Amino acid sequence: MPMGHTATAEAGSGGLTATEHRLANGLRVVLSEDHLTPVAAVCLWYDVGSRHEVEGRTGLAHLFEHLMFQGSKQVHGNGHFELVQGAGGSLNGTTSFERTNYFETMPTHQLELALWLEADRMGSLLAALDDESMENQRDVVKNERRQRYDNVPYGTAFERLTALAYPEGHPYHHTPIGSMADLDAATLEDARSFFRTYYAPNNAVLSVVGDIDPQQTLAWIEKYFGSIPSHDGKLPPRDGALPEIIGDQLREVVEEEVPARALMAAYRLPHDGTRECDAADIALTVLGGGESSRLHNRLVRRDRTAVAAGFGLLRLAGAPSLGWLDVKTSGGVEVPEIEAAVDEELARFAAEGPTPEEMERAQAQLEREWLDRLGTVAGRADELCRYAVLFGDPQLALTAVNRVLDVTAEEVQAVAKARLRPDNRAVLVYEPVTTEQSDSDEEEGADQ
Amino acid sequence: MSDAAASLTSMEFHPQPQPGAARPWAFPAPERGALDNDLTVLRCHRPGQKVVAVEIILDAPLDAEPTGLDGVATIMARALSEGTDKHTAEEFAAELERCGATLDAHADHPGVRVSLEVPVSRLPKALGLVSEALIAPAFVETEIERLVRNRLDEIPHETANPARRAAKQLSKELFPADSRMSRPRQGTEETVAAIDAAAVRAFYEGYVRPATATAVIVGDLTDVDVDKVLAETLGAWTGDTAEPRPVPPVTADDTGRVVVVDRPGAVQTQLLIGRVGADRHDRVWPAQVLGTYCLGGTLTSRLDRVLREEKGYTYGVRAFGQVLRSDGKGNGASMLAISGSVDTPNTGPALDDLWKVLRTLAAEGLTDAERDVAVQNLVGVAPLKYETAASVAGTLADQVEQHLPDDFQAQLYARLAETGTVEATAAVVNAFPVDRLVTVLVGDAAQIEEPVRALGIGEVTVVTG
Repeated sequence: MPMGHTATAEAGSGGLTATEHRLANGLRVVLSEDHLTPVAAVCLWYDVGSRHEVEGRTGLAHLFEHLMFQGSKQVHGNGHFELVQGAGGSLNGTTSFERTNYFETMPTHQLELALWLEADRMGSLLAALDDESMENQRDVVKNERRQRYDNVPYGTAFERLTALAYPEGHPYHHTPIGSMADLDAATLEDARSFFRTYYAPNNAVLSVVGDIDPQQTLAWIEKYFGSIPSHDGKLPPRDGALPEIIGDQLREVVEEEVPARALMAAYRLPHDGTRECDAADIALTVLGGGESSRLHNRLVRRDRTAVAAGFGLLRLAGAPSLGWLDVKTSGGVEVPEIEAAVDEELARFAAEGPTPEEMERAQAQLEREWLDRLGTVAGRADELCRYAVLFGDPQLALTAVNRVLDVTAEEVQAVAKARLRPDNRAVLVYEPVTTEQSDSDEEEGADQ
Repeated sequence: MSDAAASLTSMEFHPQPQPGAARPWAFPAPERGALDNDLTVLRCHRPGQKVVAVEIILDAPLDAEPTGLDGVATIMARALSEGTDKHTAEEFAAELERCGATLDAHADHPGVRVSLEVPVSRLPKALGLVSEALIAPAFVETEIERLVRNRLDEIPHETANPARRAAKQLSKELFPADSRMSRPRQGTEETVAAIDAAAVRAFYEGYVRPATATAVIVGDLTDVDVDKVLAETLGAWTGDTAEPRPVPPVTADDTGRVVVVDRPGAVQTQLLIGRVGADRHDRVWPAQVLGTYCLGGTLTSRLDRVLREEKGYTYGVRAFGQVLRSDGKGNGASMLAISGSVDTPNTGPALDDLWKVLRTLAAEGLTDAERDVAVQNLVGVAPLKYETAASVAGTLADQVEQHLPDDFQAQLYARLAETGTVEATAAVVNAFPVDRLVTVLVGDAAQIEEPVRALGIGEVTVVTG
């Protein structure tokens, strides 16, 4: 258990520090001390997400995440939930394109329990996994899909846009929730095989943040996780590389029972972890973040053609990121009018770049978002895992805000010019229908 | 299985660890004071919380809205950040965002809440802007028109959302038509359309003044001269005095019945099953919190143990108690409810199981083990729950709004720990009596009406979506 980085704060890290360690079985460990509140967060990222799924088995990573809460060798039934909550802790798990995470926030004196629980399921899930859990959680996940996607207006927009933005066969073409047919088709053997392939200490990063004694915490981690065997059976995801520009405007019109017309679009943007991605974040914030953005001012305040208009960034490391436009129209306004205004604003922005005031505002907003994210032990634990898993260096989490603040107006303009153009987007248009039955077929996160 | 067998044989297992000694934690005690303009101020230093949270509570309750103008409190709250005597609407939004701040203002039954979050270094500037909005809002005619239109555009989106639609129907069912609580908090198409700048200004002049307002400030205040910041911002607010508005008593009709809001083709049924019960001033509150948690607070509570983890009918069903309004003089009430969604074909069986859970609870009561786990969770999660300034400020503001003492939450933890299994059982059984629950189902009537009727849980009526 050699100590890695020393716990000395880097400039701009807000005084936060993290140390890195590696067990003999390959489990990477990140620790960060903070004694302000008597709580400790445990976060475990497995380097597996929906991008690792194969054809016919979409949704398996997320369904499997549910099965991780159904007991392991020494933990019966819903014991993970019962023991953590009974100890005054909170817990959950989520699945995205690129990873699956599990987390507990505990009162300090209950930290060891969370480590014991995570180790038990990492090492022995298959001792408890059975048909009954599989059939039950299959139904639960299908109801999750109905509740979050199928039974709400515009609920399947993310699924549709993702399918447009990433071509057939691309690992990000489908979203983590998966299709009903594939959820029905998944077998117990699929789940077992998924565990054997991806759930291993050398395919995970464990972070513990908060009111901890690092030496004691490491000793516990060694005790509970140290004997879990590593293995190298992991299959890499299919290649997510794509050209920088889509090269054509992809388009789908959805006629559905929705309350208003909508224009949504996904722009292909630089990969997370690059300076260009941070520049794109600022560009999207100036254009569509908050109540002083260009699109809000134009469509909601001045033209009064939209109820809401905004841009978001879905940061992705293994494929191009997506710039996410969402405009819901006002009254009887038609989509072409909105689309023309959006294109005009994007073209103007690409031609002029952001003003100094816009740069200041966008960077202040993004800085506060980072303060929020690192302001809780659970948020910090998650970010440390994210940078360790996706970029190989957890320390990058503590200085991420500096990199956003370091971006120049020229870089923001450059990424807007190169990427925010009509031939680099997938467009989804909603046209409401009032008939009773409409053609109905589906986001990133999928919680337990 | 061979891999698994190999893992099992090579992994070394250890017994479940025992907890160490708990480090004491207490809900923070705010310092209470008042400015020269009679604005009440609660401040609370939270070391390390660099994003400061400010909550301003205005005694501008929904029942003060003039007849036919439901929604004017909402439009006024939104209009506060749409321009002042010094900044246009666009400038105001830009200046706030330049501080890295977020500002939210919304109207609910007890009053209007203005919530600011901002990095501590920019607190003086941001609080200055919020003060400007409270002291000298512009309420420009064209901006109010825009807010009214925007609000009208929002209504169809809310109606389309099954959970929102269910909440609206339940309020309509429970409360008498002349009670403000029976009608949507943010108004209807008809009432919102009638709102103009004069109505907004009249509501502002009637109900927004420092003497009946409270500001709660929470965060790492080490490097902040709070008195100076307050003097230069909210201290400049002037106004007359006013008696606090009396709170009208809450009455509700909880005759057991079912209302189906028809959504042809819906793949799920949204459930909202509720009635009205005790607020935080009632001695039963800690027992009600405890019992309600045991019924439906989490995935391992009684409802989800059956409906989710045994039957797979749902992604999750929760029971909760949410205070509607309180005055500390016996006129308070909370909404007690069970909510969630179940797949359409299993709507009848899910409701049948839900009622069985309630009947079994009434017949057999909670177990001591259930009660113990619930106390350990509710008390134990407090330090996690109140890690951020915003969460502390929110609870302090709720206490102010509900006329509770500043140490209510701190005392609640002690009272929860003292509450026994018998009291918790009695409280939850009284809170959710099987024959006094109004059930709203937003779903496909053609598929669910008959199975629900067959359950005999009350008269069934169907209304259009």
